[in-house]
Amino acid sequence: MKLLKRIWLWFDDLTGTSELFGPALFHPVPRARRSRWFYVFGSATLTAFLIQIITGTALASAYVTSSGEAYSSLQFITANSIGGVIRGIHYFGASAMVLLIGIHTIRVYLMAAYKYPRIMSWLSGSILLALTLLTAFTGQLLRWDQIGFWTAVVAAEQAGRIPFIGDWLGHFVLAGDTVGGATLSRFFAAHVFFLPACIFLLLGLHLYLVIRNGISEPPQSGRRVNPKTYRHWYHALLAREGRPFWPYAAWHDVVAGVLVIVGVVVLAITVGPPALGKPPDPTIIEASPRPDWYFMWYFALLSVIPKWTERWVIFLGPLIFWGILFILPFAAPRGERSPLRRPWAIMAVIFAVVMIGHFWTLGLVAPWSPRLATPPLPAEVVGTTSGPVAIGAGVFYEKGCQFCHMVSGYGGLRGPDLTYAGDRMTAAQMKTRIFSGAANMPSYTGNLTPDELNDLLAFLESRRHRRPLI
Amino acid sequence: MIKTFLFAAFPYIAIVLAVLGGLYRYFSHRFTYSSISSQLLENRWLFWGSVPWHYGIILILLAHLGTGLFPFFAASVLGNPVTLVVFELIGMALALFTIFGLIVLIVRRLPLDSLARSVTSKMDWILLLFLLTQVTTGFAVALFGRWGSLWYLRTAAPWFWSLFEFQPEISSVASLPGWVQFHMIFGWAVILLFPFTRLVHIFTVPITYLWRPYQVVIWNRAPSRRQLLAATQTQTAGSDPPGDDPPQEDDRRHFLSLFGIVFGAFGVLLVAVPSAWFLIGGLRKPPRVWRSVGNVDSFKIGTTVKVAFLDPSPLPWAGVTARTAAWLRRESADRFIAFSVDCTHLGCPVRWLPEADLFMCPCHGGVYYGSGKVASGPPPRPLVTYPVRIRNGAVEILTSPLPITS
Repeated sequence: MKLLKRIWLWFDDLTGTSELFGPALFHPVPRARRSRWFYVFGSATLTAFLIQIITGTALASAYVTSSGEAYSSLQFITANSIGGVIRGIHYFGASAMVLLIGIHTIRVYLMAAYKYPRIMSWLSGSILLALTLLTAFTGQLLRWDQIGFWTAVVAAEQAGRIPFIGDWLGHFVLAGDTVGGATLSRFFAAHVFFLPACIFLLLGLHLYLVIRNGISEPPQSGRRVNPKTYRHWYHALLAREGRPFWPYAAWHDVVAGVLVIVGVVVLAITVGPPALGKPPDPTIIEASPRPDWYFMWYFALLSVIPKWTERWVIFLGPLIFWGILFILPFAAPRGERSPLRRPWAIMAVIFAVVMIGHFWTLGLVAPWSPRLATPPLPAEVVGTTSGPVAIGAGVFYEKGCQFCHMVSGYGGLRGPDLTYAGDRMTAAQMKTRIFSGAANMPSYTGNLTPDELNDLLAFLESRRHRRPLI
Repeated sequence: MIKTFLFAAFPYIAIVLAVLGGLYRYFSHRFTYSSISSQLLENRWLFWGSVPWHYGIILILLAHLGTGLFPFFAASVLGNPVTLVVFELIGMALALFTIFGLIVLIVRRLPLDSLARSVTSKMDWILLLFLLTQVTTGFAVALFGRWGSLWYLRTAAPWFWSLFEFQPEISSVASLPGWVQFHMIFGWAVILLFPFTRLVHIFTVPITYLWRPYQVVIWNRAPSRRQLLAATQTQTAGSDPPGDDPPQEDDRRHFLSLFGIVFGAFGVLLVAVPSAWFLIGGLRKPPRVWRSVGNVDSFKIGTTVKVAFLDPSPLPWAGVTARTAAWLRRESADRFIAFSVDCTHLGCPVRWLPEADLFMCPCHGGVYYGSGKVASGPPPRPLVTYPVRIRNGAVEILTSPLPITS
């Protein structure tokens, strides 16, 4: 034991380890009492990031960065029992990181910890948020199955909406004219080297700033931040009641970090890694590209906004969001920090959470997507197996009506539910609609023979609460 | 490889360093941002050097710039042999004029006891040497490589434009004779010298001299040459007060920090420029090729079927991703339409519903008619079509870039 201590002292004398890390470990923090648990989300995000670094390195040691081979290397990794778990940890770790950085951002915003002197902490955090989302997006793409392939196309199309440089940027993202051999390598380099390197750099700054400016004290109603006196007051506070970060405050972070790790590992083992879809062959048309859950709400948002706002939302939306994040600490560097005295802040958070939650659930259902996999209506729904009604039900399916219109629980949600269409419309009204089409319905003029039309109308008219007596 | 560096990377490095160094010098040493004229020390030789030099070099540079920027206009003017000969003769005369002026400017600084020599720094000598090299090689190019003003338009001008457009293309200059290439590259080296020399006066040239009223400089009492020499020598070397921050030390510190920044930036650019270039270089457009997708007879009139073809020159490791799908519709005996499968909304693959005669997109519910026109939903444009042709009984599709709606 004594020998170990001597070795440590010798090593520390030569390297200055404790001099370098001592202040970080033992810097005094204000007493936070129970609200201390609000402070664990930043370190929990860091924990998730470290999970990603470790499992990502492990995955990269087997992943083949080649548009042609990546898919089979992923199959190989998944088939290996440990490899599958590592993939699961990497997936749920990414999910945890996105979720936790979101909660961390909301916590800092609600407690107004972005005010003087922690302005740079907020700005670096804003960029870290963007980098995290970009890493999550590129990571989803590296799961190079059919959906990964089409994600690359969608990414290029979104980049294409940026004015002037859009076309160039879109093809820059693809590393060529089309998705090909060079595309995956480009996303791999971004996901594995470029973005994590940027995260490391900003993370260093972000953590250093905690040491330099001190962690924010829990806000109290009526205690206003005044940049002229804040530092002085804060140091007095630390002198009065500050206690070293380790271990008084840090044990909370350790508990939260371990909970994150345990949660992620348990999910990885029980739920398993996200399934690999079909191979990334662009000639297999039967694909339904969907983003992973953390972008589901954005997918929904782009689907429901009016058509003409689309290019502005794609291009200006992120710009405005991060613009607001950047302006915030300069617009409000002083004043009240307590959320109880900042009702608009609470409103903004509720608005954001409700909006994301709403669009997220909407995205899960995706009512705007035609249900191309819907089966033909069974006989008990149609009510008969012969005659015009039955033939009309066949037409209803073959002409694609059922992909968008639901009848008795079968079909899509894009158009109105036609389970009781016969109660609402006459045959003439239906005919008009079928021929004229609508904003979201194609016109079937010239696409239906008179017989087909009559059968279809017979089928639709038969959709009633109470069946006609005939 | 060395040519790639010299013609594609070095010009950018030179420009960036000239701008950065120039800005640094402008903000840190604003009083040195001039020609540092020695006119008050020596005027007779200066007149015969400076006037021919400046008149010559300005016109020559304008000719380089103008014909480089507007090669088609220049070609239309110089297409006439008489104009060409006159243009070239004037150019050579101006070149001789320039060389003469420059030699005078050098000679006036040579004598060891001359006043001009005493204010000449090492950088001045380097600059004079660079300029002399550049104008002599330029004259040699004009003399031995006739008619330069014509081939310039097909070699240097496209190169300049490719540099402007950040798509360096060196093929037009790569095969020129070495001494011509030397003149081209050395020009950038002269630009590189900008922030370090009195060349910066190009940006501070007192153009108002041309129309402002005369100023007559009169010596109150003409000092002897020896007195002047002694005065400048004590100024430059003599006074060294025992203060803790002597002026020379200050100058040295400024110079070393300028040197450190600019030279460091040079090192950084040496790595960064090729890396960024490599990243963007992936955008080189592969040639578009016609790919057969099957015999004409294998497609029924009035049907739409999926066809697949290979990208032009796919990378060996691209695997299945090197393929592209298209919807091929046979309209009549000799009329085919090939639709891109990418929805014009956000690029998802549209599906063909033969019974309904519609394309449907699974992502956001875009629908197209069989003709590719938008039937409903978010797509802003009809489906993009690929060029199709029939050759030797086979249907061929021209490979095309992924259509991006912008």
